[in-house]
Amino acid sequence: MSSAVSTTAYLARRAAQKERVRILYRRALKDTLNWAVHRHLFYRDADDLREKFEANKHVSDLDTIDRLIDNAEATYNNFRHPDPYIVPWAPGGSKFCRNPTPPAGIEIIYNYGKEDND
Amino acid sequence: MAARGALLKYLKVNVTSVPRNPTSAAGGDTGLFSVAFNAVRRRFSTEEVRGSFLDKSEVSDRVISVVKNFQKVDPSQVTLNAHFQNDLGLDSLDTVEIVMALEEEFGFEIPDNEADKISSINLAVDFIASHPQAK
Repeated sequence: MSSAVSTTAYLARRAAQKERVRILYRRALKDTLNWAVHRHLFYRDADDLREKFEANKHVSDLDTIDRLIDNAEATYNNFRHPDPYIVPWAPGGSKFCRNPTPPAGIEIIYNYGKEDND
Repeated sequence: MAARGALLKYLKVNVTSVPRNPTSAAGGDTGLFSVAFNAVRRRFSTEEVRGSFLDKSEVSDRVISVVKNFQKVDPSQVTLNAHFQNDLGLDSLDTVEIVMALEEEFGFEIPDNEADKISSINLAVDFIASHPQAK
């Protein structure tokens, strides 16, 4: 019974760590693209980033993994881009919440002021 | 206070209802044209704000071409039902890269928690086809 509990706890902790790594890799990869001025520079930086993750692929000790993830997240936060690219429509983008859809029943008269010429 | 109330009462304007869009009531060729024109303009402006949904077959074609162009994938194995890790032999970090490639292909942004759930081509197609800003 206790072994089953410990296995479940182990698996849960592993799943949480895997999710942390996935999200960290996603953010770091996006940040790499923010820092890269040209696309061909980005490819090499992305390969370097991938190598950093691959280097610790076979670490199996849970506490060591946690420490490595903590270090990596600290490094990511340290080198985060101050003005990242955000897709304009996405939250934080330059077009976010601009010109929302007018409520139903309201319409714009586009030829306002020219009615006499019709 | 009383002076303010009196002033406000003096400034009060009665609201009278005005028939909507007087030009359309005028009738004739010009009226019809302006109605159609307004309808077209309105459709464009709201569509730009709301975004439009892409056709599902177009989305699946583009998703498959993106996945086929990924270096570690064998193009012959890419089908609509393929799972990134089980069928295509990728690992979780490759999946992250593919999702980012899809974001760039369709010019929109997937939140981190949603991106984490996209693990097969079917899921990706469903998500992108139901996202209004994908283009």
